[in-house]
Amino acid sequence: MSKPADPKAKNTIVMPPATDFSRRSVLKAGLAASTLGTASLWNSADAADPKVLNYLSWPGNADPSIVGEFEKQYGVKIRIKEYVGGDQMMAVVNQSPPGTFDVVLADAEYMHLLKAADFIEPLDPADYPLKDLWPEFQKFPLHWFDGKLYGVMLDFGYLGLSYNTKAFTPKEVQSYSVMWSEKAKGKVGFFDWYLPSMGCISLSNGNRPPFDLDKAKFEALKKKMFSLKPQASGFYTIADIFSSMTNGRAQLIPGIGEWITLGLRTSGVPVDTIIPEEGGLQYTESLSIVKGTSKRDLARKFIQYSLTPRAQVAMATKVDNRKSIPSMPAWKLLNDTKPQEAKLLRMELKGPNVMDEYKAKKIQLRQLPKQQSIEDWNDLWSQFKSL
Amino acid sequence: MSQPVAEPVPHRARTAGSQRVLPAVLGLPVFLWQAVFFAAPLVFLIVITFWQVKSFRLEPAFVLDNWERVLLSSPFQRALVHTLTLSAVTTVLALVIAFPAAYTIAFRLPARLRDLAVAALIVPIFSSYMLRIYAWQIVLSPEGLINTLIGHLGIDPLPMLGGAFSLQIGLLTLTLPIAVLILVFALSGIDRTLIEAAENLGCRRSRVIAHVLLPAIRPALLLAATTTFLLAFGDYISPLFMTGSKPPTLSILVVDTVKSGSQWPRASVVGVAMLLVLAVVFGLGRWLGTRGTGKGHS
Repeated sequence: MSKPADPKAKNTIVMPPATDFSRRSVLKAGLAASTLGTASLWNSADAADPKVLNYLSWPGNADPSIVGEFEKQYGVKIRIKEYVGGDQMMAVVNQSPPGTFDVVLADAEYMHLLKAADFIEPLDPADYPLKDLWPEFQKFPLHWFDGKLYGVMLDFGYLGLSYNTKAFTPKEVQSYSVMWSEKAKGKVGFFDWYLPSMGCISLSNGNRPPFDLDKAKFEALKKKMFSLKPQASGFYTIADIFSSMTNGRAQLIPGIGEWITLGLRTSGVPVDTIIPEEGGLQYTESLSIVKGTSKRDLARKFIQYSLTPRAQVAMATKVDNRKSIPSMPAWKLLNDTKPQEAKLLRMELKGPNVMDEYKAKKIQLRQLPKQQSIEDWNDLWSQFKSL
Repeated sequence: MSQPVAEPVPHRARTAGSQRVLPAVLGLPVFLWQAVFFAAPLVFLIVITFWQVKSFRLEPAFVLDNWERVLLSSPFQRALVHTLTLSAVTTVLALVIAFPAAYTIAFRLPARLRDLAVAALIVPIFSSYMLRIYAWQIVLSPEGLINTLIGHLGIDPLPMLGGAFSLQIGLLTLTLPIAVLILVFALSGIDRTLIEAAENLGCRRSRVIAHVLLPAIRPALLLAATTTFLLAFGDYISPLFMTGSKPPTLSILVVDTVKSGSQWPRASVVGVAMLLVLAVVFGLGRWLGTRGTGKGHS
């Protein structure tokens, strides 16, 4: 990546001099062009504007219902750059000049890659209300490196087996083995992302933790996956998961959760999610401050705001993508103000709630592969799809 | 004082320069456009097939690893065979359906209805293809329109969505109107006296079609075939939304490869391979079009 010419314009991409047509300069120009193609629909003026907080995040997280109050309170504008999937996020990060973003929301398993890329900076734990989080999440392992905190949990959710309640009973889906049943032939849909999908198949193979596999276990996972292929109805993007569950094309989908089925269920689609006896996965979305930001204070305030009970409740009750939230005061506020939502989201303080599975140790953290490369798992996923 | 009379410039001499310059000037924007937005990206596409990705970041290099990894991988080989097969099937189906339709429109319909039919073929081309595919999902899905209707008749739901049938429906939605239009225009341009002559000489309808119409529109048939093939070969939407990427086509493989670790170089290898296949198909079509005509070009 070319170095910025002017420190004040940190995200200016410097092209080689017009007269220099060496091979290296042509390659650099090409690289700059590719960078422009992926990251630079971003307005460079926003990076320096103190009234704009640049936020790299999954879609929908800068909805006015969630960040509107913050914008009003601090007289700033949140400008979001959306990505779908951790790999895409890493590509944007690696192709963006320093100072492009102020805050990043990442799936927690990518946090060590962000740290390795020197993209995020350590946080002062005293700045954030970590003691308000459920005890299980106060020292969340994927957020700490060498005793330093790099991310704060914004929300989380469980991934298990989602199913059509007209076609399958809760008893039938107690185990992932239902995916191999005669009844499920041609009805098992897959979220087209290797990590959660292969994670659940790994769990069904008895692997705990599901992403730390030696050679033999990885080979066994491959066999198990390939045996599932005749059952597959298709491999879906997020948008197509909604339609395939609605129109009945997919009646079982591993590796997704309430973040999809809850919204569908409230729209009358007969679907539900279960954490089978072999266990489920937890996804975690975390906020970090981007290294090199000129708006560190604003970024810190944004993270603090995101952990306030009101903001947390707004995040939990997002119509299109409901989440579980880690803040206990936020649970209390939810129960006090929206008891029906608390019940629907299984976040009731009295009675069964989403923390039960966690306490029962049925939940494994979604993590990147430990003993193989991301590429190895991706290649296996591609092979599985092409069978 | 009388003014000297200018020597008249011969017409040929006056226009000789402009005949050379004007076409060059008029053609320059197109040439530049193609150079900047087609040739240069194409060269760049080829160049980055030799680059590498480190920590999700594209880095200039000269490695053959991407070509090796892609061309020798079973997902690529399977996707290539699958994409070629489905494009060939779509081409045959499109021609088999398009020719009788075009024949009817060109020869059987009165002028007003013919115009309406042509308009009906053109209008969908300007509507969103994605939207049309979503509409097919509603029609073909397990709980869709057809299955709901036949359910009332006591018939079990038909598994229409998610297989070769629905995929061909999607691809024909994209290609058929274009194939029919090409053939309609070709048939409309045929010299009717040839048909009348053949009929006066006692040829039956089938013989007229086989020996007069089809040879007369051979270039259009090849154009329809290659257009259909090219569109089907590169389509991403139908394979994704009508079959759920099962199995993946080359277009889906390109997207998957980029999604998986930002492997732009490997995705570019797939892209270049697709372009090579299309070049071969295009060349084949051109060769077939000129074969037997005694011309070096169509």
